[in-house]
Amino acid sequence: MRFKEVTLSPDTLIFGRAKYPLRYGHNLEVGKGQVIPEIKYFPRVDKDVKEEYGKITESILKRAVDLDIRSLQLETELTYLEMRTKDLPGDITQLQRHIIDRYAQEYGLNIGFRVTVADIRDLGRPKHDEDSYMKIMETFESVASNGADVLSIESEGGKELFNYAIIRQDILGVVASIGQLAALDMKKLWKDIVKIANNKHVIAGGDSACAFANTAMRLAGGKRDNVIAHSLAALVRVMSASRSLVAYEEGAVGPGKDCAYENVFIKAITGYPMSTEGKSAAVAHSSLVGNIIAATCDLWSNEQTENINLFGGCGPEVFLEILYYDTKIMNTALEMGKEKELKSLFVKSDKYVDPQAYVLAPEVAYEICKAIVGEEDFFSRTLTSAYETTSMLLNDDRLALAKNEIRFLEATRTRLEGLNKNPSKVQELLTSYEPKVTKLRIRDYFDV
Amino acid sequence: MDKTDILNYIRDSIVNLDFEKSKEFTKIALENKVDPQEIILKSIAEGMEIVGKKFEASEYFLSELIVAGEIGKEITQILQPYLKGAEVKKIGKVVIGTVSGDLHDIGKNIVSMMLEASEFEVVDLGADVPVESFLEAVKREKPQVVAMSALLTVTMVEMKNVIEALKKTGLRDRVKVIIGGAAVTEEFAKSIGADGYGANAVQGVRICKGWIT
Repeated sequence: MRFKEVTLSPDTLIFGRAKYPLRYGHNLEVGKGQVIPEIKYFPRVDKDVKEEYGKITESILKRAVDLDIRSLQLETELTYLEMRTKDLPGDITQLQRHIIDRYAQEYGLNIGFRVTVADIRDLGRPKHDEDSYMKIMETFESVASNGADVLSIESEGGKELFNYAIIRQDILGVVASIGQLAALDMKKLWKDIVKIANNKHVIAGGDSACAFANTAMRLAGGKRDNVIAHSLAALVRVMSASRSLVAYEEGAVGPGKDCAYENVFIKAITGYPMSTEGKSAAVAHSSLVGNIIAATCDLWSNEQTENINLFGGCGPEVFLEILYYDTKIMNTALEMGKEKELKSLFVKSDKYVDPQAYVLAPEVAYEICKAIVGEEDFFSRTLTSAYETTSMLLNDDRLALAKNEIRFLEATRTRLEGLNKNPSKVQELLTSYEPKVTKLRIRDYFDV
Repeated sequence: MDKTDILNYIRDSIVNLDFEKSKEFTKIALENKVDPQEIILKSIAEGMEIVGKKFEASEYFLSELIVAGEIGKEITQILQPYLKGAEVKKIGKVVIGTVSGDLHDIGKNIVSMMLEASEFEVVDLGADVPVESFLEAVKREKPQVVAMSALLTVTMVEMKNVIEALKKTGLRDRVKVIIGGAAVTEEFAKSIGADGYGANAVQGVRICKGWIT
């Protein structure tokens, strides 16, 4: 199904409320009038992995009971190393599931459990590393059978070209990698993930363009960093919306993954609930969008905290507490009918700090979403939304862009204007990169 | 167009990050019998210096410094057959890689490209590089520097394993070791016995240059 309209308006695009709420796990309702903390964790490296996951789950749920947190979601994000050990992902999931079930039964907690499978493919190998693709699908089957409620991934199709392009600020390569290669890969991947989710009666949660947009965010860095243009990072975020939307067009229903800051656009278009992360994820990601990204969340996450000892307890349980108090303010605002005021504070406190924050403002995101749904194909969506964003960034004086940012945006607008949407021209553009990018195998993306 | 004009056009095309124009003017220069060594000194070196100053003044982004370096490298390759056997001298050799279990290699790629732009010979082992591959590369390539990156706390311990393996095989004293990446700190570098820590690509390259020159 192709989304042709924007479901939520700038006004109705708000934290805690989605057009299509979800209910799963132990009676967890997401997007139905409150924001839920989604806690993420990382085992210590010198400990037994499975044992660590058990301890982390216990400590999180004990803290939830101590603070009377009634609703929460846990997310286990499997690493490349964990994926290498046969049966380990399923064993970890099963162990955590048992602990979750025990707490839900004993204390009546409403708990959801997301498992994110790592994309372990080496895209430079024939047929994009078919063996690893099968391993990914087997892992989805395994975690779904062993107790995951929600399935997610941060897929990386198109990243080989993106990595080449982003460090050269090569906007054509960026558009082609996200708008064509990543989108085609998403289509294939999510068709299979949705099939598994449906067979196992679990939720197909969505994908994050972490490998693209968070790489760009990380490269852009702080206000004084000068690695790539911050406007480029903002454009990559916008382009990532067209790419991540593909999962939902293949049947995913949310909640989208936390580190997909493009979920602002996805929520507006689909009406599905979304997870986001911001100020309380500074433990893993520094960003210039810490407040504004909270304006539209349904789950609120810390991104990743290692299970190290702190004064207040172990890392994950401490961060659950932080997230809980964040969400309490949002939920109190919702109960008191003050949500629009709080949303406005989230937005206004960040909007003009940086182009990356600007594009996430609901009123700006809404205009970008209109550009996305107004186009027919992946590439045109990506190109048009990037072009419109370039104009919006250049035309709003309140952003006070630095001279080098303006120079970058003006050059980018000219290059995007000259880009042909004709499929054969897009193919030509992609092919021109093959000799320059070691692992790029264009044909494999189209042989689906 | 006299010789000075041609040299200036090549220099300016580097400053303007224009691949096509730089190649076009280099060909014109060669047709007009301009000395290739002069192109290297007057166009490439001066162009790179201007771009470097623009970067330091925050006029240019680091990515543009990288592109300028690539243009300079491409011009040098066009000039190579005309240099009458005089190879463009490299200042040193670096073996670089992202350690085992870690696929996050974009920071490493930036360092690798900046080292090349700074006239280092770079042997890039890629991402998810096992200890043995670092050892083999050190034996085979005889570099002055081994550079390692890791993004994750779970993988940065691999850096220590590489250094330990270099010690065990008697290779440690032959190379300087520099590490970097999001999870890595100067304290960590010291604790595992690395010689240097690059907080960012510019600093990393500066340290490597300091060791060589």
